[in-house]
Amino acid sequence: MQQLADSLIAQGMFGANPPRDLIYALFIFVFSLIVFLGIAFPFAGIVSWVERRVWARMQSRCGPNRVGPNGFLQWLADGLKHICKEDLIPADSDPALFKFAPYLVILAFTLPWAVMPFSSQLILADLNVGILYMTSVTALTVVGVLMAGWASNDKWSLIGGIRSAAQIVSYEIPAGLSIFPAVLMAGTLSMQGIIKAQGWAPWTWFAFSNPFTFIAANVLYISALAEGNRTPFDLPEAESELVAGFATEYSGMRYLFFFAAEWGNLFIIGAIITTLFLGGWQFPLISNNAVVMNVLQLITFNIKVLFLVFISVWVRGTLPRVRIDQLMSLCWKYLVPISFVDLVGTAAWIAIWPSGNSVAPWIMLALFLAIVVTFLRRVLHYFRRSKMELYLSPTI
Amino acid sequence: MSIRTEEMTLNMGPQHPSTHGVLRFVIKADGEVMREAIPDVGYLHRSIEKIAEKVGYHGFMPYTDRVDYVSAMFTNQGWAMACERLGGIVVPRRGEYCRVIAAEFNRIASHLLSVGTMGMDIGAMTPFTHAIREREMINDLIEELCGARLTFNYMRIGGVGWDLPPGWREKALAYLDHFDPIWEEYNALISYNKIYVERLANVGVISTQDAIDYNLVGPNLRGSGFKWDIRKDIPYSVYPEFDFDVPVGTGEFGTLGDAMDRYMVRIREMRESSKILRQALNRIPDGPVLAKVPRNFKPKAGECQVRVESSRGDMGWYAVSDGSAYPWRVHVRTGSFAAMGMINKLSRGLMIADLVTLIASLDVIAPEIDR
Amino acid sequence: MAKSYFGNIKDAITTIFEGLAVTASHLIRKPYTVQYPDRIPVRVQDTLPIRYRGILEVDLDICTGCLACERACPIDCIVIVVEKDKQTRQMLISQFDIDIAKCMYCGLCSEPCPTGSIHHTTEFEGADFSLESMIRRFVPEPIYAYKPAKGPETDPRIIPILNRGMRYVNEFAQPGSDKPAEKVA
Repeated sequence: MQQLADSLIAQGMFGANPPRDLIYALFIFVFSLIVFLGIAFPFAGIVSWVERRVWARMQSRCGPNRVGPNGFLQWLADGLKHICKEDLIPADSDPALFKFAPYLVILAFTLPWAVMPFSSQLILADLNVGILYMTSVTALTVVGVLMAGWASNDKWSLIGGIRSAAQIVSYEIPAGLSIFPAVLMAGTLSMQGIIKAQGWAPWTWFAFSNPFTFIAANVLYISALAEGNRTPFDLPEAESELVAGFATEYSGMRYLFFFAAEWGNLFIIGAIITTLFLGGWQFPLISNNAVVMNVLQLITFNIKVLFLVFISVWVRGTLPRVRIDQLMSLCWKYLVPISFVDLVGTAAWIAIWPSGNSVAPWIMLALFLAIVVTFLRRVLHYFRRSKMELYLSPTI
Repeated sequence: MSIRTEEMTLNMGPQHPSTHGVLRFVIKADGEVMREAIPDVGYLHRSIEKIAEKVGYHGFMPYTDRVDYVSAMFTNQGWAMACERLGGIVVPRRGEYCRVIAAEFNRIASHLLSVGTMGMDIGAMTPFTHAIREREMINDLIEELCGARLTFNYMRIGGVGWDLPPGWREKALAYLDHFDPIWEEYNALISYNKIYVERLANVGVISTQDAIDYNLVGPNLRGSGFKWDIRKDIPYSVYPEFDFDVPVGTGEFGTLGDAMDRYMVRIREMRESSKILRQALNRIPDGPVLAKVPRNFKPKAGECQVRVESSRGDMGWYAVSDGSAYPWRVHVRTGSFAAMGMINKLSRGLMIADLVTLIASLDVIAPEIDR
Repeated sequence: MAKSYFGNIKDAITTIFEGLAVTASHLIRKPYTVQYPDRIPVRVQDTLPIRYRGILEVDLDICTGCLACERACPIDCIVIVVEKDKQTRQMLISQFDIDIAKCMYCGLCSEPCPTGSIHHTTEFEGADFSLESMIRRFVPEPIYAYKPAKGPETDPRIIPILNRGMRYVNEFAQPGSDKPAEKVA
């Protein structure tokens, strides 16, 4: 950012002696707007469409397919509809907090984009504590959700808010502990630093570098799903138990904010894991042109993230919801000990092979591919067993 | 300084998403743990029993569809059997076979809805649509048989209203060929899922003695390990001619009589129904399907009680005739009402999320409770 | 203890694995949705079976004015007024109304109809803006009731209508088609 601003100032675009700090601030402001309004919010919307389509196909349905090509503009239509709706505020609620809570949630959703490493140069701010910053600002969601649950003055909302608080606070621990194996391997907290410590090839990614990091990546994904209130951990908004949980009393734009944040958070979850374990934007150096490389890296990064987003949609289409006590026991009895073992194991691994074991990544990768192949065979098994002709005719 | 705590009174329903119709529960909860849940019934009371006294024997048949709209064939059959016993009418054998075929298809459809909503109440949406997809195919079949998808009005006093249409048997058998292997897929998707098993096992445990004391019937009773099926124990219609098992709860995933047992009993019962259907479709005899019953059916004065194994268990139909064209009194005894009586006892100490599981596992249908 | 701990983990992973395989296999299957009302190859009404109990219709050409349907209706949604024309000594139907807002589509009226005049169609789209429009009035002006001919029908205008009606009636189980019901002592 600074280089770009400097070069424009040198060209005399802002007069002879411009206020430099002001121009930097202006640049950051404009770029943030582009990121938030041009990437974050449309992404949240598009994910909502993808989720509904993928989910529908898993359920033998069609999903939204009327607005735009294949229903692609459904998210815009839904967004517009929500914005046009009446902003209802319950009579006995705490109006100030009730109005403020969605903004806090949306704030927690937008802040992490500041350190989002889209490519080697496209990053708003490469903080030296990037990953720490990311985990801490995403935890702001809990304040918004708790506030919404409390201010609604509805018992279902209150239970949803309290559940959310308990859940997010608990799952911060395994999430935080699972980040550290990657940090240990890279030796830095900076997002770009962690990515640069990995290569473009799968056997150079941290996820496959040793068994502990592989498990850590999975634990982190599970914890991140729980922090993002996604199935199977969607207890705060458990539809069949709490009506709509903390969002019961919300409608219109404020309701939209909650769900934009939920869907947008999927990108952040994917980005964290991609950065830490899946090689981030790393792409083989095939061109010396910085623009070409940046575009390729941007595409690589987004493909990885979108694949993780797809997995979360897929999991949501498959799994039931856990109960609150099972949620807690999963966290404290399973994920926390496992992530501690991972942390110690990774540390020991680094102590034994400081420059990395050259065989382990290949074994890990082979194991992973074996799992994928087994999985595909099961998919084909279920596919072949289905009597297709019954599916193809709408009436028997 | 001590923190003052108080019980929270929650009002669940009648418009709650998981109360399966209009049920209401007043929940006294301490945080997530319930002290008790008090069921409040009566939101769907339509005085169906009183209507019977006004519309006559033939005319009451469509109303019986509304007693339990998820498994209307059984209510049809119960009323038809009550009238036949009052009037001393013998149903032709083909008629009985048609009844069994329709009723067993309806049992599968009803159980599909039950296990599907069970998944949805636990939070998994996909099993529900898969179950509904299978149910739609059954509805298509039944629509071809009797012209309606929900309120069938298929049976008549003395038989059934329509014979099997030409080519229907082949379609039904083809459907069963499709249906049987679907269960492997459905079980892999949800029944054996660890999260699902954990949610259902050891929840809402009903001991065998409690189940008998509280007068539970059907899959709820069999889930507690007590083998009692009207089709076997007080046989009616042509059920003695078929070879089928009565699945009972085994407590394989937790305690005997928990929600998972009731769920598994329903899944296994569907397979048994499929077995009965195959036998019935292959063995159906020729002949008339409807006995000759006068339009103004006037049975002799007297009373009768018939029992039908509905998909929600032992359904009793009690009718009193005074010799006129209108029944003097009709009473229906349904399984859901008894199951509602058990909820208060079972709910103590459960979590709020478990109440949803409990209601779904007891498979209560709001119109059947209130009638 | 340790066995159940790791057993739980193993169970969770394997069963979730299977579940994901099932849903993934559905991704490559066709959806089962009928995209009513517009994106369907044929109208839904045309795919429904002949027994489908949709909105009632009356063919006045073959209505005998016997009032069997009015008597059979459990909710009295059919109103028929029949009087005898003094001059021609024929039955004159002056009113035949069906309140389809009241009708519960049970099919009890079309069952006793001797000619299949009153019958359910496969039409089910009956929404309208007023309750008044729900009452279908089939007799705009008094009309003579149909008198079944002795022997086969000869009127070429009536034959196709009667054939359709009889086909509908023949779908119903004919009471006692083979032998009468035996009385139990």
